[in-house]
Amino acid sequence: METVASRPAIVTKRSLPGDFAIWIFIYAELLVFGIFFLSYAFTRARHVELFNTYQRHLDRESGAINTLVLITSSYFVVMAVNAIRRGAARRCSQWLLLAILSGGVFVFIKLAEFSAKHAEGVTLSTNTFYMFYLSLTFFHFMHVLMGMVILSVVAVKAYQGAYSAQDHTGVETGASYWHMVDLVWIVLFPLVYVMH
Amino acid sequence: MDKVDYRALQVWLTLVVLTLLTYAIGVSGLGGAVVVAGILLSVAVKGHLVVDVFMGLKGVRSPWRWIVTAWLFIVLLLIGVAFTMGES
Repeated sequence: METVASRPAIVTKRSLPGDFAIWIFIYAELLVFGIFFLSYAFTRARHVELFNTYQRHLDRESGAINTLVLITSSYFVVMAVNAIRRGAARRCSQWLLLAILSGGVFVFIKLAEFSAKHAEGVTLSTNTFYMFYLSLTFFHFMHVLMGMVILSVVAVKAYQGAYSAQDHTGVETGASYWHMVDLVWIVLFPLVYVMH
Repeated sequence: MDKVDYRALQVWLTLVVLTLLTYAIGVSGLGGAVVVAGILLSVAVKGHLVVDVFMGLKGVRSPWRWIVTAWLFIVLLLIGVAFTMGES
């Protein structure tokens, strides 16, 4: 005989964190990045030697450090969301500030990398590999900047007390965007800097 | 005072270890189908952890969670196919 305790619990599915509109944007962004990644991979299949040769010239250390920086910034954003869910708005803004500073480190390292390539005379028209490398990483770079702007607005609003434990959709919206930027880089780094 | 979010910390540590592993493979110069498959598997694990734990999509009703997860796995699978084509 079935007892009440043996019945499966009713699982309540949650809705997406943050504003639904940001998710439409995130899905669209993922689609664009996905097409970009596959264009890289299938173009590489026709120019394996070229891609392998020039991939060796990339600054793999910078790419790896930037991955660690973005992963850590994502952790800070998780802590910011945890803080606002407890109603600790000032703490939330502090965690967001740490995430923004991490974003600044990413930007600094990436600019140094771009600058080094520019000094070597590398441009979009140097070859197919560099065309993909520059356009993919620059496109992602712009998303990091955009994410930093979003997190800055959210951090200021949190500091001013605009969010609470009951109402913090804005924090979750900014957090979702930032994690998307992190997710894309997690695919981009091994694809462009490591795999051959 | 912040409560320690052990799950998030665990995920962060896993992401760091897998990233360092990927970097070590890059430095060693290892390549080929098996290495590519291993790297793509590690990216799948990392991406899945970010989607479920950092983004907080675990427990979110369908199809919203699965759109992101499906994006990740389809892109990685097709990248794997493209690299296999490059090998032949």
